[in-house]
Amino acid sequence: MVGVLIEMRAATMRRQTTGKYALGVLLLALFVMLLAAGTLAAGLRHYHYAGAGANVVATLCFGWLVGWVSGPLVTGDNAGLRMDYFKLLPVPARKLGYAMLGAAFADVSLAFSLVAFASLIALGAQSGVAAALVGAVAMLLDLILAVVTAQVAIAVFGPVISSRRGRDLTAMLLALVITLLSLASSLVPFVAARLTDGHSPVLSGVVRILPSGWGAVAVDAASRSDWGLTAACLAGLAALILILVLSWPRLLARRLTMSPGGARRRTSARHRALTPAAILPATPLGAVTGRELRLYARSVLRSMMLMISFLVAVAVGLIGVFSGKTVGLPFSGLLFTLIAAACFTNCYGDDGTALWLTLVVPGAARVDVRGRVLAWFLVVGPAGLLLTVVLTAISGQTWAWPWVLAAEPAMVIGCPGLLAAIGAWSVNGPAPDGGPSPARVLKTHAALIVVPAVVLFPAAALLIPGAIGHSLLLRWLAVPVAIAWAVFLGRRSTRAAVRRLEARGPEIFSAVRAAAP
Amino acid sequence: MDGDDTAALEFDGLFKRFGDHVAVDHIDLIVPAGSFFGLVGPNGAGKTSSLSMAVGLLRPDGGTVRIFGHDVWADPVTAKSLIGVLPDGLALPDRLTGREILRFLGLLRGLPRDVVEQRAGELLTVLELDGAQTTPVADYSTGMKKKITLATALLHSPRLLLLDEPFEAVDPVSAATIRTILQRFVAAGGSVIFSSHVMALVERLCDHLAVLAAGKVVASGSLDEVRGAQSLEDAFVGIVGARTDGAEGLSWLAS
Repeated sequence: MVGVLIEMRAATMRRQTTGKYALGVLLLALFVMLLAAGTLAAGLRHYHYAGAGANVVATLCFGWLVGWVSGPLVTGDNAGLRMDYFKLLPVPARKLGYAMLGAAFADVSLAFSLVAFASLIALGAQSGVAAALVGAVAMLLDLILAVVTAQVAIAVFGPVISSRRGRDLTAMLLALVITLLSLASSLVPFVAARLTDGHSPVLSGVVRILPSGWGAVAVDAASRSDWGLTAACLAGLAALILILVLSWPRLLARRLTMSPGGARRRTSARHRALTPAAILPATPLGAVTGRELRLYARSVLRSMMLMISFLVAVAVGLIGVFSGKTVGLPFSGLLFTLIAAACFTNCYGDDGTALWLTLVVPGAARVDVRGRVLAWFLVVGPAGLLLTVVLTAISGQTWAWPWVLAAEPAMVIGCPGLLAAIGAWSVNGPAPDGGPSPARVLKTHAALIVVPAVVLFPAAALLIPGAIGHSLLLRWLAVPVAIAWAVFLGRRSTRAAVRRLEARGPEIFSAVRAAAP
Repeated sequence: MDGDDTAALEFDGLFKRFGDHVAVDHIDLIVPAGSFFGLVGPNGAGKTSSLSMAVGLLRPDGGTVRIFGHDVWADPVTAKSLIGVLPDGLALPDRLTGREILRFLGLLRGLPRDVVEQRAGELLTVLELDGAQTTPVADYSTGMKKKITLATALLHSPRLLLLDEPFEAVDPVSAATIRTILQRFVAAGGSVIFSSHVMALVERLCDHLAVLAAGKVVASGSLDEVRGAQSLEDAFVGIVGARTDGAEGLSWLAS
């Protein structure tokens, strides 16, 4: 049975690695190989502080184990062998369970992990043959632990991640982790220094006490001929694996008899609590604005884009502060508004075929555009203005006031109409897998340059000469000019978006429908 | 122009092409006012394309569509104010609850808030969706989504309902409720046109029907004119010229 499962898994992987995905898979493989080589290199390196090597390798092994567990959770349990395929097979859960566990070892990514965990051998080899042998045993145990833990995680969390709420949560977490990781990369040298200089017993204690660190601790103990600790660590790893393997058929049986939807249909109190309808007027414009405000609060895509805009903008400002520079702080609010603008340049494409509701209601195109404009203004505007004013005041960069007071209100006023117009002219439906299409991602990136260029060029035309010529008058003149231009631009682009939707509504709808997954 | 003798819906030389494929091939069709009209045909016959052109979701390449005499594409505001639409397989703003969608649509159509609230409450109760008042539509079953879409079509009290596969994925109890609602609507002077694959349902509900095949109307008229002395299912198979063997091969099955 293991053979059949491996064959099925290989066929699925072959399908997934053809065509345009092949290049993506190749790039990913190259990236993971680099990470594995980096981990191995960390094991080969000599450190001044005695236990530093074990600290570093333990930390990196933790990273690899987290990768093994989170990989399937992020991609869903349909990568490779999906458990639901086997629900109806007349095979006992125990037999199926061990067959699936066996098939899980036929995984190409094991090769990368083998290279990475070989850092344990490298670490041991620095102290002699015995420690290297302990490293080899620890490497094998870590590999088995990685595969088994990943399978157990799928069985435990599978039903949750397959449900819509679970996918929403995973998407949010993934976006959050990627954003924070990319921003925290500037902290890596700091953490690495703490791990290798021996001055942080708490940090090294934590990475060693976790099961992912036991292999490194065993090698470290072997290098000091502390065979008792070595044996305890290796036995601990083996026992952990045994416990997971023994619990596996039971978990699988539970998983196979569960509905993938999780059947936990809970009505959310949030849907009752958030009723802007009570505040908004009972008019068509109020109705569209209410719908939009609710969707900003509830749609995962929208709240994710807002969250990323906010986190990136604030973190960029704060990272500067950590290095003692507050010069970027006044512009965090502007950066938030800019990213939030670029993210929402695909309003009609992102809302999908729900556009039919607007098209079948007579005269609804005009209020639909105006409601979208108003809602973006209400959601992003106050937050952007508040961030700008507070952070500029805190930073003490008084020279920045005319710059931010010209640019931020102009963005908040000028962008919403422009976004609706861009969204009505350029409609990017989702990719076949339901995610954003490459064209949509490209549009967002282009908008990061084009939108501020269009909205802010009159302000820049006064601010830059004002700064060069030390003219306070020119710089402050930029404020009313920028706002006047933004009002003009906002009104014209809103009207253009309305005309576009009225004239080409069915074509916009056809474009969205053709792309709908 | 809106008198009783005016057709509820009229296709005149309606034509639509997607690339080389002609989806709707110069259709002429009249749906009499006050009729319960069935639109049947095999998959890909052009039913959804025709209905989409009738409601303003798909621009025709030729011909006209009139609703109670008003051209849908030349006078869309008047024409669209007369219809209620249930499309097949299209999204709703699914993070909203059913009641929120109805409230949004009612206000968008300019109805007063108290009227919207009262009608939304009644529709949710009749369609047995009142138990899911706080559930976002994303968590609805397929049948529930169908029912809330039907509620959006009925909310503003239209004169003509255009329904694309309204009974698909709907449980028998809900289907009976929907049938009763539609029959009451027609009895009160409304007109319904709906597409379906279920011949028994069309035979039971409709007084008129049209059979579409390969983008053309191959038969239309009253129910009795189209089916003659046989069942509608037999008449349909005969009209569209389908093969109904399924008898060749599979000798190993249940042997």
